[in-house]
Amino acid sequence: MLTKLKSVRALLTLGLILSFAFAVYAACYKVKYWGFNFAPRKVTDVWTVEEHVSFMPDGNNIRVSMARPISTAGFKVLDENIVAPGYKVKKEAGRIEVSAKPQQGLQDVYYRVLLYDNVDSRGKTEAEKPSDPEKPVMDEQTAALAQQLLDMSANFAGDAVQQIVLLFNQNPPEGVVQAFVPAPRTDKAAVEAMIDLLALKGIPARLVRGVKLEEGKKSLTPDVMFEAYLDGMWKIYNPQTGKKGLPSDFIIFQRGGKSLVDVVGGTDSVTKFSVMKSIRSSFRMAGHRADLSQSRSLFDYSIYNLPLNEQNVLKWLMIFPLAILVVVIMRNVVGIATMGTFTPMLIAMSLVETGFWPGLICFSLILSVGLLIRAGLSRLNLLLVPRISAVVIFVVLIMQALAVIGYQWKWPIASSALFFPIIIMAWIIERASITWEEDGAANATREIVYSIIVAVITYFVIVNEYIRHIMFAFNEFNLVILFIVMLLGTYTGYRLTELKRFAPLAGKGK
Amino acid sequence: MFAFWKKFATPSELRAAGVLGMNRRNYEIIAKSNNRRLYPLVDDKVQTKKLADKVGINTPHLIGVIEVQNEVNGFLSLVGQYREFVIKPAHGSGGKGVLVIKSFDEKQFVTASEKVLSYNEVYQHISNILSGLYSLGGQYDVAVLEEMVHFSNQFADFSYQGIPDVRVIVYRGFPAMAMMRLATKESGGRANLHQGAVGVGIDIKSGRALAAVSHNRPIRFHPDTGADLLDLRVPFWREHLEIAAKGYEMTGLGYLGADIVLDKFRGPMMLELNARPGLAIQIANGRGLRDLLKNIRKTYPEGLGFAERVDYVLK
Repeated sequence: MLTKLKSVRALLTLGLILSFAFAVYAACYKVKYWGFNFAPRKVTDVWTVEEHVSFMPDGNNIRVSMARPISTAGFKVLDENIVAPGYKVKKEAGRIEVSAKPQQGLQDVYYRVLLYDNVDSRGKTEAEKPSDPEKPVMDEQTAALAQQLLDMSANFAGDAVQQIVLLFNQNPPEGVVQAFVPAPRTDKAAVEAMIDLLALKGIPARLVRGVKLEEGKKSLTPDVMFEAYLDGMWKIYNPQTGKKGLPSDFIIFQRGGKSLVDVVGGTDSVTKFSVMKSIRSSFRMAGHRADLSQSRSLFDYSIYNLPLNEQNVLKWLMIFPLAILVVVIMRNVVGIATMGTFTPMLIAMSLVETGFWPGLICFSLILSVGLLIRAGLSRLNLLLVPRISAVVIFVVLIMQALAVIGYQWKWPIASSALFFPIIIMAWIIERASITWEEDGAANATREIVYSIIVAVITYFVIVNEYIRHIMFAFNEFNLVILFIVMLLGTYTGYRLTELKRFAPLAGKGK
Repeated sequence: MFAFWKKFATPSELRAAGVLGMNRRNYEIIAKSNNRRLYPLVDDKVQTKKLADKVGINTPHLIGVIEVQNEVNGFLSLVGQYREFVIKPAHGSGGKGVLVIKSFDEKQFVTASEKVLSYNEVYQHISNILSGLYSLGGQYDVAVLEEMVHFSNQFADFSYQGIPDVRVIVYRGFPAMAMMRLATKESGGRANLHQGAVGVGIDIKSGRALAAVSHNRPIRFHPDTGADLLDLRVPFWREHLEIAAKGYEMTGLGYLGADIVLDKFRGPMMLELNARPGLAIQIANGRGLRDLLKNIRKTYPEGLGFAERVDYVLK
C-alpha cells in the first residue's frame, strides 16, 4: 500500500525525523565522548603521519626497522601504533623494529604516529658538541672540484652553510655543481654533497629526514633537510633556500645517515608516507577519549580508525551525498536541464582539485577545442562508438598538451587540465555537438551554460571547509541527506523554472 | 527588478489556473497510469506500427527495417520502387534522427527541407541510427524506412516545409487536450516546440484553433507564412480523436500523447505514440491540464469503447 503518495511521504518523513534525531544524537555523542568539534581546525593541530612499508618476503626471517619521529624538535608524539599482524614489535630510541618468521605473499606494515605541535619547546634544543667531522675521502679530481666550489661559495651571502646552499641552488645550475653531485641528482644526493663540502671546512653536518606536513599528502620519498653545527649549536637548514630553522611543518624522523627503513628478508620494498591533519585534534583525541568512556569498540568501527589513505579517500567521498543533493534540487525543484544528470557534480569535484578560476578556464578551453575538433570529426562520418572514442583520445591529447604548456610557460592554469575526468569531458563534447547540430547553437550553449552554473553552485557548497569538515566528522548527516533526497522524489510541486514557463497561463508575463 | 518578477507566476496562481507541472506529471500521472512494462510498445516504432495494424489504426506504410550494419548498403534496393521515403530510428524521440527524402536518384537525395545529401551521407545517417546515436539511452537501434506522408494542402499555408501534426493527450482513453504543431523556418521544418515550431491549441470538441504560441509567447500569425493561425481548422476531427483514443486500447497506457498527421490520400494517420508527452501543450491551449485530468478521473464513465469515449468527449 506504499503507492499512496501520502503514506510514502509519511514513511519518508518519519525516516527523515529519525535519521535527523540519530544524527544529532551521534553528533552530541562524538562531541562529548570523542571530543569532535563542529568547526574545522580548532586548538592545536594534530597530525597523523603514516609510514606504510610493503614488500615481498624472500623466504628468510623478516626484520623491518623503521625510524620513529624525534619528539623533542617542536612536535610531541602523542600516540603511535603499528599495524603488522603476526609480527613481533620492538621499540628502541629512534627506531621501531618488527620481526617475524618467513611469511608468504605481499606484506604490509603500517606505522602510524600522532603528533601535535609542541610550540613551547621549539628552538630550544641544545646539543653537545660533536667531534670534528671526518674529512671525506676524495679522489684528486673531486677534491679539486670541491676546492673550486668552496672558493665560489665565498661570493654568496649568508653564513658558510647558506653560501654553499645558495651556490648549489643557482638557476640555471652551476656546471661545477653538476659535476660534483653524483647523478641522479636527488635532494638526498645534493644534501650529502653539501655535507661533504662542509666537512672539508671542518663544519660537522648531517642529513635530516622527515616528513613535511601537508594535508592529504601521499609520498614515496621522505623530505630532506640538513643540520650543521655552527656557533655551538645544531642549526637546521633548508637545502633549497638555505633558510635557517626548522619549518613549523616539518617532522624529523631521522638524523644522520642511517636509512629510514631497513627491510631484511624481503625484496621490492616500497615505503609510502601519508600525512593528514588528523581531523583537527578532535579526531586524534577521539581514540583516547573513547578509551576513557569505554566506547572503544564503537570507535574501532568508525571511519576515524581506518588507515590514513582510506580516511583521505573517505573524506572526499563524504562530500558526494551533499553534491548529489544539490543536483537533485537543481533538477527537480529549480528545474534546470543539464547535460547528463551528474556531470555538473563531477565538474564541481574537479574544480575543487584545480581551484575555481584555473579550473573553469581550463574546462572551457578543453570544451571549446574539443568542440572544434568534434566539428571536424563530424565531416568524416564516423560511426558512433569510434567517433566518441576518437573524442576521448583527443581530450587526452588536449590535456597532455595543456599540461606541458602549463609547465613550460609557468602557467599553472593549464596544468589543472589533468584533473578533469576524461570520459565525462568527451561525453560533454559529444552531447554538446549533437545538441548543436540537432537543436541549434542556442540550445547547445544554454545546456552548457546551465551545466556550468549547476557545477559552480555545487562547487561552492562542497568547497566550504566547514561543510566538508562536518560531513566527515559527523557523517551520520549523510543519512539525513538520503531521506531528503528520497522525499524530494515525492515532490509534486512546481519547479522554479515552471513558474516562468507557465506564467502566461496565469495571465502573467505576456 | 519588479518587472523581472512580473515574468513569474506564483505557485498558487499556477494551481488556480490548473497547470500541471513536470514533477506532478511524472509522479502522479505517468507513474500511476503508465506501467513501465508497456513503454517498449511505444518506444519501438516497429512494434507500435504492428500494434496499430492490429487495432486498425492507419500508419504510414512500412517499407522495410534495417537491423544490422551490413544491411545498410541494401537500403537503395528497399526503397527502389518508391519515389520518396522517410528514415527514422525505431527508438527515437522528439523527431531526432528523422530524415525525409522527397526525391532521389542513386547519387543524390533531396530532403524535405531542400537539402541535397550524397549517398554516403544517407548511408552514414542510417549507420548512426544503428549505432544508437538517436535512441533513448544510446542503445543499439534499428532504422525504419517508411512511406512519406503527403500532407494535406489544407495546411499548406500554416506550415513552413515539414509536416504539421496533431498531438492529442489521451487520459484513461479519453482525448483530453490537443494541439497542432507547425514547422517554421527556425525549427528547420521540424515540429518540435523547443526548436521554434508554432504550437496551436485545438479545441477538443470542434477541432478549431483556440490560441497559438511560439517560444512560449502567444502569437496570432505564422512567423513565416503569415497565415492567421486562428483560422486553422483540423478536418476529419472525429477520426483524429478516434485514432488517439484507440491508442489506449492498443497500448494500455493510461496517459499518452498520440501524434497524428493528415495524409492527402489516406486521411489521418498515427505517426507515433508517446508515453511521456510534454507539457507545452498547456501553453498552446492557454489552459492547464491538471484540472482537466482530474475531471476525467473523477467524473468520466469507465468501461466504454473508443467510439463511445470519443462520443462522450464530443457531446
